[in-house]
Amino acid sequence: MNCEEFATAGLDLGSAGIDSVVQRVAREHLRECPHCAALHENWLSLREDLRVLGAETAELEAPARVEMRLRQEFRTKHKTVKTQRAALVLGWSVAAAVALFFAVTWANWYMHRGPGLANKTQPALVHTPTTTGNAGSLPEVSAPPGSELNDAILASNGSGDFTLLPGSMPPAPEDATVVRVQMQRAALGALGLTVNEEHAGDWIQVDLLVGDDGLPQAVRLPQTSAGTSD
Amino acid sequence: MQIDSQDRDDALLKRSAKGDERAFAELYRRHQAPLFRFAVRMTGSTWAAEEIVQDVFMMLVREPKKYDVTRGTLGAFLYGVARNRIMKHLERAPRDFSLDEAGESGRDVHPQLQEQMTPARWAELRERREQVRSAVLELPPEFREAVVLCELEEMSYDEAARTLDCPVGTIRSRLHRGRALLLAKLEILREVPKRANAGRG
Repeated sequence: MNCEEFATAGLDLGSAGIDSVVQRVAREHLRECPHCAALHENWLSLREDLRVLGAETAELEAPARVEMRLRQEFRTKHKTVKTQRAALVLGWSVAAAVALFFAVTWANWYMHRGPGLANKTQPALVHTPTTTGNAGSLPEVSAPPGSELNDAILASNGSGDFTLLPGSMPPAPEDATVVRVQMQRAALGALGLTVNEEHAGDWIQVDLLVGDDGLPQAVRLPQTSAGTSD
Repeated sequence: MQIDSQDRDDALLKRSAKGDERAFAELYRRHQAPLFRFAVRMTGSTWAAEEIVQDVFMMLVREPKKYDVTRGTLGAFLYGVARNRIMKHLERAPRDFSLDEAGESGRDVHPQLQEQMTPARWAELRERREQVRSAVLELPPEFREAVVLCELEEMSYDEAARTLDCPVGTIRSRLHRGRALLLAKLEILREVPKRANAGRG
């Protein structure tokens, strides 16, 4: 072993990682070479100093404030994430609730209003003129189920017991349409009829005989509300 | 043992990622001390080391997915991150101030030595330690980290190579160069007083 090889491998003399043959050769060189012996002695001294330096700092730990800061950051981060998740869940829940509400509302509206609208879109039914041969009698037009809740409905016009409104002429049967409406009794006053003030606020069903000019010509109180009318 | 430790780290990291603060605290306590020591020994400053350790764990809080389990142990990963931070710190400020700072409590780390020695001997040893410390801190970073890990942390070459993610041969050569530089520096430092004393005599 020469001095250069000793400088590379010899400093690890005595450590477990060095081959025994290399160690033996290095020790032989150490005995023969005073320069390498001095180098080795210096190294042993330095290694001891390094060991002391290592021991001095072996117990060092990061100050407690570092952990405190990190935990604070950890809490902040995960709190933010939780809040965001909660907001997301809440947002979707509200959106779903609103959508459900509108769906139910629309379904209700469709169930109750849909058929009425359907009738309105079928003017042939509404404006079907009377075609029966009997003078004063009007054609039978049946209203769809539930239509009694509508403001304007088609009524049976078979009975013919209409009362002419003041100032109106009996319409020709082929030009007349019977329309059933729900109104407050007081509204009959506007048609020129007398109304009992005690019952003026009552809701009643009335059949109107409407001429081709769109104006009511005669009125009839159907059997259901006849008992309550004057 | 290593595998158990790694499994424990992985389990803690998973819990921590789900928001378990205790798991994170345990993870921190398992790894902070060696990282802090490494940073102190590399930078020579406890303040810098404190910031570096904080940065390393901050990264773990904010981006836990940066650690890939398949690429090595969490300890090695954290060492790697700390090493990058240390290198950046050394580029910015080559050396802040001497390592001769007492711990947080203000106590000296070796009080028993102080009690057993004469003041002259204590002063001599203290000066010697200071010389070694300065010499270590003046080594180029790549040699310094090899010396710190193998001589101060007393890691094996294999462990140091895993920690620095480089071949064992690289560690050997860096350590060799580091030792040679240290010896040369200390020889100069120690010769100067001798010559000064000889001149006076």
